[in-house]
Amino acid sequence: MAVDDVDTPEIDTGESSEPKVTQGTVSAATTDQAGVAGFVGAWKSLATGLGITAKHAFTKPVTIQYPREKAPMPERWRGAPRLVSAMGTTEVPLMEASSLEYNGLIADAYATDHLAPCQGNCPANVDARGQNYHAAEGRWVEAYQLVRERNIMPGTLGRICHHPCETACKRNFYDEPIAIRPLHRVAYEQWNPVKAQYVKPLPKTRGKKVAIIGSGPSGLAAAYDLVKLGYEVKIFEKEDKPGGALYYGIPAYRLPRDILHGEIDDLVTMGVEIQCSTKIGVDISPEQLMADYDAIIIAAGLQISRFPGVKGQDAIGVRGALDFLKDSNYRGEAGVRGQNVLVIGGGNVAVDAARCALRVGAKTVYMASLESDEQLPAHPWEVEEALDEGVVMMCGNGPNEVLVDESNHVRGMRLQTCLSVFDETGRFNPTFGDDFTELSVQSVVMAIGQGSDLKDIVAGTGLELDQRGNLPSDRSVFTTAVPKIFASGECVTGPGSAIASIATGHEAATSVHRFLSGESVSDDRVARTLLAYDKYAPANLDHVEPSRLRAVMPFSDPDERSKDFRNVELGLTVEEGLAEGARCLRCETNICVGCTFCARTCPDYCITVERRDDPGDRMVTKYDLDLSKCCFCGLCAEQCPTGALQMSGQYELSFYNRDLTLFDKGEMLRDVSGTRATGADAAADHASKGETT
Amino acid sequence: MTNDAQGTAAEIVSDGPSVREMVVNVGPSHPSTHGVCRIITHLDGEVVTEADLVIGYLHRGIEKIAENRTYLQVVPLTDRLDYVGSMYNNWAYSRAVEKLMGITVPERAEYLRVITCELQRVASHMMAVGSAGNDAGATSFFVLAFWIREQVVDLLARLSGSRLTYNYVRPGGVSFDIPEDGWVEDLRALCKKTPAALEELDRLFFGNVIAKDRTKGIGVLSAEDAIAAGVTGPSLRASGVDFDLRRDEPYSVYDRFSFDVVVGESGDSFERSRCRLLECYESLRIIEQALDQMEPGRTTAPSIPRLIAPPAGEVYERIESARGTLGVYLVSDGSVRPWRMKVRSPAFTNLSVVGTLAVGHTISDLVIIVGSFDPVFGEVDR
Amino acid sequence: MTGYWGGVVWGLGAGVLVGISTILGVWGERKVAGHIQKRYGPNTAPVFGIFQLVYDLLKLLTKEDIHPKQARRGLFNIAPLFMTTPIISSLVIIPFAAGWAPLDTSIGILFFLAVPSISVLGVLFAGWSQRNTYASLGGLRGAAQMISYEVPRSLSVLAVVMLAGTMQPVTLMGEWRIWWLPVTLIAFVVYFIASIAELNRGPFDLAECDSELVGGYFTDYSGIRWAMFMMSEYGGMTAAALFGSVVFLGGTWPLSGVLGVLVLLVKTVLLVIAFMWAKWTFPRMRPDQLMATSWKVLTPMALVQIVIVGVVIAWL
Repeated sequence: MAVDDVDTPEIDTGESSEPKVTQGTVSAATTDQAGVAGFVGAWKSLATGLGITAKHAFTKPVTIQYPREKAPMPERWRGAPRLVSAMGTTEVPLMEASSLEYNGLIADAYATDHLAPCQGNCPANVDARGQNYHAAEGRWVEAYQLVRERNIMPGTLGRICHHPCETACKRNFYDEPIAIRPLHRVAYEQWNPVKAQYVKPLPKTRGKKVAIIGSGPSGLAAAYDLVKLGYEVKIFEKEDKPGGALYYGIPAYRLPRDILHGEIDDLVTMGVEIQCSTKIGVDISPEQLMADYDAIIIAAGLQISRFPGVKGQDAIGVRGALDFLKDSNYRGEAGVRGQNVLVIGGGNVAVDAARCALRVGAKTVYMASLESDEQLPAHPWEVEEALDEGVVMMCGNGPNEVLVDESNHVRGMRLQTCLSVFDETGRFNPTFGDDFTELSVQSVVMAIGQGSDLKDIVAGTGLELDQRGNLPSDRSVFTTAVPKIFASGECVTGPGSAIASIATGHEAATSVHRFLSGESVSDDRVARTLLAYDKYAPANLDHVEPSRLRAVMPFSDPDERSKDFRNVELGLTVEEGLAEGARCLRCETNICVGCTFCARTCPDYCITVERRDDPGDRMVTKYDLDLSKCCFCGLCAEQCPTGALQMSGQYELSFYNRDLTLFDKGEMLRDVSGTRATGADAAADHASKGETT
Repeated sequence: MTNDAQGTAAEIVSDGPSVREMVVNVGPSHPSTHGVCRIITHLDGEVVTEADLVIGYLHRGIEKIAENRTYLQVVPLTDRLDYVGSMYNNWAYSRAVEKLMGITVPERAEYLRVITCELQRVASHMMAVGSAGNDAGATSFFVLAFWIREQVVDLLARLSGSRLTYNYVRPGGVSFDIPEDGWVEDLRALCKKTPAALEELDRLFFGNVIAKDRTKGIGVLSAEDAIAAGVTGPSLRASGVDFDLRRDEPYSVYDRFSFDVVVGESGDSFERSRCRLLECYESLRIIEQALDQMEPGRTTAPSIPRLIAPPAGEVYERIESARGTLGVYLVSDGSVRPWRMKVRSPAFTNLSVVGTLAVGHTISDLVIIVGSFDPVFGEVDR
Repeated sequence: MTGYWGGVVWGLGAGVLVGISTILGVWGERKVAGHIQKRYGPNTAPVFGIFQLVYDLLKLLTKEDIHPKQARRGLFNIAPLFMTTPIISSLVIIPFAAGWAPLDTSIGILFFLAVPSISVLGVLFAGWSQRNTYASLGGLRGAAQMISYEVPRSLSVLAVVMLAGTMQPVTLMGEWRIWWLPVTLIAFVVYFIASIAELNRGPFDLAECDSELVGGYFTDYSGIRWAMFMMSEYGGMTAAALFGSVVFLGGTWPLSGVLGVLVLLVKTVLLVIAFMWAKWTFPRMRPDQLMATSWKVLTPMALVQIVIVGVVIAWL
């Protein structure tokens, strides 16, 4: 390989190019003189040298005087690696606090680098790490209760959450994330049979009453917090069943109704009062509420679908996604049986609508979105499931005109290609191309966005809506212009996720509590920690042992499931749940879990880790760090997910035991598919020697 | 130590035909070989008639080991190539991996790389210039040059956690952002006060009549010979060839800085060493500009997994290290380990001319000539 | 006080003096070098680090006495003595106090210039006996250098001898006048430089030359024999500084008695520090440049000095 030759500089010697420096400057200042001048100059140069050394001799030395002074070590100094603590000796700290103090707990953990990324990336900062810790030991009830403190309905969210925790999971870095969301569901399933002994009515000690408008996730979260604090809470729900968007928006194939209502019933048992079929402004006037209750939380959510404003959108057969979902979920019939259905929009609501359309008997379901395949705002796994079920994706197409027949019924839709969705400043400003497609459909579902309808609720309370129909309110403490009225959930934040709504509910409840106890709502209150973690690129799984991979969620057969509202995800077994909990790295706890990633990262193979992995008896049994091989590169400590392995501040040579400095031949010829610390090689060694392990 | 078959005094007293020629074995364990180089020197009186360089005493097979390591694990290995300028090795290797992967490095990381590598250039040149002086017996000059290096290395240790093998530049960025403890201020202060110290060093050694007598006209390397032998870096520029990758093939963000390329004329040991000293001024200029231009931001490219598996292919990336053109040739077969890594090390090619240059000079000049090429044997032998 | 036993006593005394001057000299050298290099030098051992050298000496004394296999044992063993003995002997003519020297002889100056030169033999023996290329080169270099530098050194002293009209150190010191200093300045500089070369010290340490010849003529020496080379170097430096302060700087002038001895010591220490200062400032010369400096610079300078002194004497 003639790489060395390639590199000969192909340049001339300076005639034609324009050197920035005239040649010969290197010697210019030091040319020699001849004769007497040279003789004198020589003596002068000697004197100059003596002068410089004398100057240094009479200035203070820059070194330290060792026994009296000590040189400070830089903070990042890479001394010998050191294991702070190991699994089996120390308990994983659980993040437990009431909502009033929870933000402070999270902020402290973040400031001291003890916040696990799953928890940091969760809008409600659910302690997924603690859940996994309990799950690994089989303490499902504790796991459920720990999660419920923040994520008020683990069973529900365990089926529908968009799990930002798993996106941030450090395990992404190495193989696959922990199945945190399915573990919620496993915990719920273990908890459900025995919940009667844990769910008890809570005492109402405060003597103050709070009304909550809307029984969606946000309203329920606020109610749960306030009930725990001893307030008397009443939720007003305009529909005939509680649950809000969880009930009317989420299709039943993702969230069975008995689970949702089972968990809501638990809240009711604890003391939350829910009054359904009561529309504020119609059945009860807002003034009445103002008079009867000490505080009011508006958590009404988003009720109306937005329309794109194309020609023919008022034709018969064009519907908003929310109406469509409500019809299909609630009644199981949306009047599209045998029809071709087009869903406009690329979000999760659009995917839900499309999949529901299949389930209520549509012949073919198309989905048209402005965004291209890669940029779809819907979660990729949902899109994938929809494709499995037979939804036809038409990405990169915007609505142009709804084609109607004489009787103003939809007969088709003309789509226009979309070139870009956002302009340079990142604002929504689609540009369209010249290609048109016409689809023959009988029904069009608009799922391009939702808005809130709060006119009735605010009438007479003193609150005013802005011209877009939104309620002006604070987005961190959720107060409104009227002191005793608070607002939370999607009617404040806009379309979002269930878990984000729950987080706002917690905040609103904290505000209500501070308001009712006479404290200032916002003074010395720790803001909710909203962190955005990097999205991980998919890890290379070529050399990962199957035992290290994430438990695979079983799905029902796509052809069968698309016909009715049966469960799509079938859930993990308890055994899988235990294993999954044990996969958790317990990030940032400073407790080594024996994950062996340090051993895999070490370029010198000086780390050997072994651990025992029986439920209830998990511990790191061996952590061997051979400092004689260590090159102090720091890669192991840098990637340690728990922070248990740290580079000590010692100077690296302050170790006496560095005698093993030779690699043996076997080490050099080691098979590349693993390291000896993984155990895989050890097993192979034993096998080759004819031993059984 | 020198009881070598080729170098005992017995040959001097023997009556054989070789009575007038003495073989002195310099190295591999010798104060002036800058590592472990062996020079078998044939002397006529004190004049060198033949100098054979024997290398390979520090061969650790790093290129071969790299084939058995993941892409991230190779970074600490590259630290050990040119251990006086670890940053360059990290950088050249990381650039190769990034090119394979098609990663765009965030700007702040590029600036940090420029800053650390120019700091490294100062540190490396101070070691080179100082030990070139030490070869001529100027021990205090060596230590005073090392004091400048020491300050630089302290800053690098605060940034990266290590003084010599930084493991700082990684595929996709750098491992740490600047620490919050006044690092930037300290660096600016260093940039301000170092030129005066450099000027003092210049007067102490390069202005000294003895040093000039010792180094001027010693080991003159002509521009044609230098290019023919593939000599690069300050050793090439001292011969009057105006070639610097930072300017002629600007990589990273080097096209945003104004700096001069120091070019010599005669190509003797004096100019080779002083060229390095003068380059330190330019490095400090670059650092100051980089500090002014740098903006906050991320220091690693997003979405880089721990186990990098670049698509199959081969790349060659070269940068200007303190010793010259440092190239890394990397072949990937799509797995998580490089299929082949080859380092084009400037010290190795530069050293190839030493044997011929030394002929006709005395043995005292031989060590001066070796020192003026600034060889680092970790890089020569690899 | 002459006679066999007197010689033994003064020899032992001078030996002790050389030993002490070695300990203090090494300590001083390390301190001077340290401060020039922005360091503190030895500072943790007791008494400002002086005991560091006591420890070192103990270590060297108890070290294994290593003989290289190919060395000529007899010469190898005896060479260090050839280095140290002449230095110790030469101290005997130094007038330590006004009007008194251990050996007050009329040819004292000649004695001092001649006797230490015997150590050339030591250098040659050492270099030859090790049968090692570095040592051989070092020995040859050292011999050539020491013989060459005898010439300017002797010539430089001649200027003062001419002014004093005597070669008896005691008398010369008594005769010394302050105006001699400016008149013989060139001679003093030549003497200073030539002494450095004579002692094989930097910037003229070619015989030792650690960057090329590893250790020069004492490459293979270790332990106490190596320490004797060190003793000869530091003893020689002390002797040269004592002689220089007696001849060129007036010895005990302007005081006499015990205070005069102190003055002499201070002058000596300052000269020794100057030797060290030069060593830790300058690069080393090349052998041919060294010879050229001797014959083309220092010898003419010394001759010019003799002419100046001749004119001054005539003018007086």
